[in-house]
Amino acid sequence: MSALRWLAAFAVLAALPFFLGSYYNDVYRKLLLWITLALGYNFLFGICGQIAFSHFAFYGVGAYSIVIFLFQLELPFPLAILLGVALCALVALAVAIPSTRLEGFYLALATLALAQLFIVVLNEGGAVTGGTGGLANYRLPEVFGVRIAGPWYTVVIVTLLLGTLAVLLRLDRSWFGRACRAVRDNPQAAAAMGVDVARTKVVAFTLTSALAGIAGMVYAFVDNTVNPPIFGLDNAFLILFMVIVGGAGRHAGAVVGAILLFLLPFFLSPLIGHHHVLVFGLLVVAAMLVQPRGLIGIYDALRRRLA
Amino acid sequence: MRSGAALLEVQRLTKRFGGLTAVAGLDFTLGGGEILGLIGPNGAGKTTTFNAIAGTFGADEGEIRFAGEPILGLAPHQIAARGIMRTFQHNRPFAGMPVIENVLVGAHRRFSTSLWSVLAGGGRREEAELRRRAQQLVEFVGLGELLEADVSTLSFGQGRLLEIARALAGEPRLILFDEPAAGLTPAELERLGGIIRGIAARGIAVLVIEHDMRFLLPLASRVVVLNFGAKIAEGTPEAVRADPAVLNAYLGEPRNA
Repeated sequence: MSALRWLAAFAVLAALPFFLGSYYNDVYRKLLLWITLALGYNFLFGICGQIAFSHFAFYGVGAYSIVIFLFQLELPFPLAILLGVALCALVALAVAIPSTRLEGFYLALATLALAQLFIVVLNEGGAVTGGTGGLANYRLPEVFGVRIAGPWYTVVIVTLLLGTLAVLLRLDRSWFGRACRAVRDNPQAAAAMGVDVARTKVVAFTLTSALAGIAGMVYAFVDNTVNPPIFGLDNAFLILFMVIVGGAGRHAGAVVGAILLFLLPFFLSPLIGHHHVLVFGLLVVAAMLVQPRGLIGIYDALRRRLA
Repeated sequence: MRSGAALLEVQRLTKRFGGLTAVAGLDFTLGGGEILGLIGPNGAGKTTTFNAIAGTFGADEGEIRFAGEPILGLAPHQIAARGIMRTFQHNRPFAGMPVIENVLVGAHRRFSTSLWSVLAGGGRREEAELRRRAQQLVEFVGLGELLEADVSTLSFGQGRLLEIARALAGEPRLILFDEPAAGLTPAELERLGGIIRGIAARGIAVLVIEHDMRFLLPLASRVVVLNFGAKIAEGTPEAVRADPAVLNAYLGEPRNA
């Protein structure tokens, strides 16, 4: 039954791009990628209670690393993927291990520094990163003589999204997800129950960062260009906003928040131009003041009233 | 484990905070199935002793052995991994989870499925089995009706019972109670006493730190009395109750220093 539902979801999501024009196909792809990112960040922020600003930077590390490994170093495709994931995990461990040993907001500060440093490295990376102009004019390599393109590449992104969701659901419904929630709710009590708090945080951070990196690798062949402005801090905050507005700690919340905040500018920009960011700010403040559980919390409350 | 040896051995435990000696050379032992009460007036060193066993703080001198192994200085999660679980005086539930999930966190160390097997889809049978046992524990403490309840809806007394079920889910060999009677109604106290007796009857060693003598004395099989960080009496509740040193400490009669 459960397998059937996954299959049905895949069928619907994967069939859609074949009915979309190239513009809407591009919008759809970006939407799927934002949902993927928000789901991963929700596990880290909403379920494990860690405030980090590096999720989008890891997306960038994944994107840049696959391009550099494939086209600058000319490594074989599978090796480039493996090395890209390994790099994300390694950077994540290097940031998480020292910062989780400290109390409170040190992870937030360390990841903010990492996100800034990443942009500096991209800009100053010379021929390796392409500097301020980034890297472009590359194409997805052929796999078994086939070059996946057009709506078929959108199917790859659907697979990424559902794969990420499946991994996160497995984690969430296991002892690990429970340990993450326990660490979020009461670290002292979690430790007294035998949960290694520091280790749980490091593992959650590394896993979600690696998932962001994998999404970045897929993204690298959406626009077929990677450059520093794409991976700036404003997008790091946008993921946080998506999760807060949608409802932190709930997978459905992350999905709803990502869809809303991704699509809102398309409707708002013709009316108020770039001031749509102001609306985001108001939404986040409203969520925190009125309904800390976000849109999904409002939905739950309505359902309870009707039941 | 050495035969005949006590499960928990506290030897010459000493802890100083600056110039103040909170615990001074404390010795006591505790065996499986026994209920040991640790009592004393405010500032006697009960909580300091408790924290040293639970791994919250270290100590300056002495040793704590559990099943023959030294445990002093281990982190709280390592202490729990060795089979020592605790409750908190001020309930510390995991507020974002229903009752049954709270209890399952207590079973954290019982899970043997690795994270990799979890990702590969394994561990479902183990999850179901431990969930079933957690459910039994929720029923044992009398919260069976509230299995899926949000913990924020529990009364203070129910929260205390949840603390106990959660600690038991770790299948401890020693359970530490930090002032379990605090804030409970007489009816709840009676129920709590029954539960603690039931735990000891399962062969689990029980250490209770308590203020409330009317609750503790009928319950404990043995009592250690602390005053100013030192043990001033030890024995059965009856013997301790009649001990002049204990009466002095509790009634505050002047002593020659």
